[in-house]
Amino acid sequence: MGQDLAEKTGAAVGPQQQQQPHQAPSRNVADYDDAVDSLLLRYLSLLDEYTRLRAALGALQSTVFQSLARANFTAERGVRRYGQDYYDERMQATRRLRVTTPGAGAGGSPVFEVVVHSPEEDDKDEGEAAEVEVEPANGVDEQQANEEKPNEQQQQPAQNNNKTKKKKPKPHDPLRWFGVLTPMALRAAQGQAVEAVHDLVPRLATVSAEMAGVEVEVRRTRKKRAKAVAAEEKRQQEEEENKLEKRVDGRDKPGRAEVLAE
Amino acid sequence: MASQADSKDRQFLAVIGDEDSVTGLLLAGIGHVTAPPDNQKNFLVVDSKTDNATIEATFEKFTAERKDIGIVLINQHVADRIRHRVDTYTAAFPAVLEIPSKDHPYDPEKDSVLRRVRRLFGE
Repeated sequence: MGQDLAEKTGAAVGPQQQQQPHQAPSRNVADYDDAVDSLLLRYLSLLDEYTRLRAALGALQSTVFQSLARANFTAERGVRRYGQDYYDERMQATRRLRVTTPGAGAGGSPVFEVVVHSPEEDDKDEGEAAEVEVEPANGVDEQQANEEKPNEQQQQPAQNNNKTKKKKPKPHDPLRWFGVLTPMALRAAQGQAVEAVHDLVPRLATVSAEMAGVEVEVRRTRKKRAKAVAAEEKRQQEEEENKLEKRVDGRDKPGRAEVLAE
Repeated sequence: MASQADSKDRQFLAVIGDEDSVTGLLLAGIGHVTAPPDNQKNFLVVDSKTDNATIEATFEKFTAERKDIGIVLINQHVADRIRHRVDTYTAAFPAVLEIPSKDHPYDPEKDSVLRRVRRLFGE
């Protein structure tokens, strides 16, 4: 398939090559033609992937919107709309980017990836502060426990610690902004949005960056080709001029010999 | 080397769009508010009341000022409102992607990547 296309594009360029019969420079031009063709071939396959990803993202986005509309339709009383009124002002991203640039300096285009970021990584830093806040509350609980049930005083702190540990990850799930019992449709919207963010968006960005890289290469190669063509034409002209001069000289010489003979 | 170090810190996706687009993407877990006192959000909800200057300033902030954003997602109809700004943006980081919204399906004619394609073949 790829070879066929290459041959076709090669055939399209063919006539231009035939106009340039000189061996050494024309090989250069042909090389540039081949280079441009193979770059364009790569570009077209990237474009194909880009349009497919675009279609997939469009379809997925529309299912997210449908799910959100359904969630709003079945919303509990009091919930005006699942939207910005419920966003947590201290939200922390649980899905983050990882950007890698292979072969820096070699013109390698960046690769985007979305990875799950576990909140525990941040909690290590924040954990100490959180514990300080929790401890006074524990103290109050313990005092109450001591007064009421002195026998359970050893179990109480352990339970409290477990509770705080379990509670920590909850605020990181955006679904919780909208309450504890969220409609199924909202969960569906979340699942679809995760798919879009995880699979399609980073790939689209990667393909787009790669396309931009190939565009630069194509333009560069086209310029080189144009230079090669110009250099070759100049050489052709010079050769023709040389030939003409030789011919003129060739005609002149017998003419002079005749004159001399006479 | 500088660009490699630069790209490593770009760990967030940002979004400029209508409420449903932003809600959907925030549900996926991309929303982030930096620690106080900055409290910088990586999203902007655009409605009919939002003026173009705000959109443009936010786009500028996400693409030029903030060094922790790797991809900016923007609704195509919002991008249309600051089209000159989006089309003249050529930097590698952050990548800008136009996405469809509920009321405005994706139009390939306006897509900046496909415009680039046409330019490449039309030259």
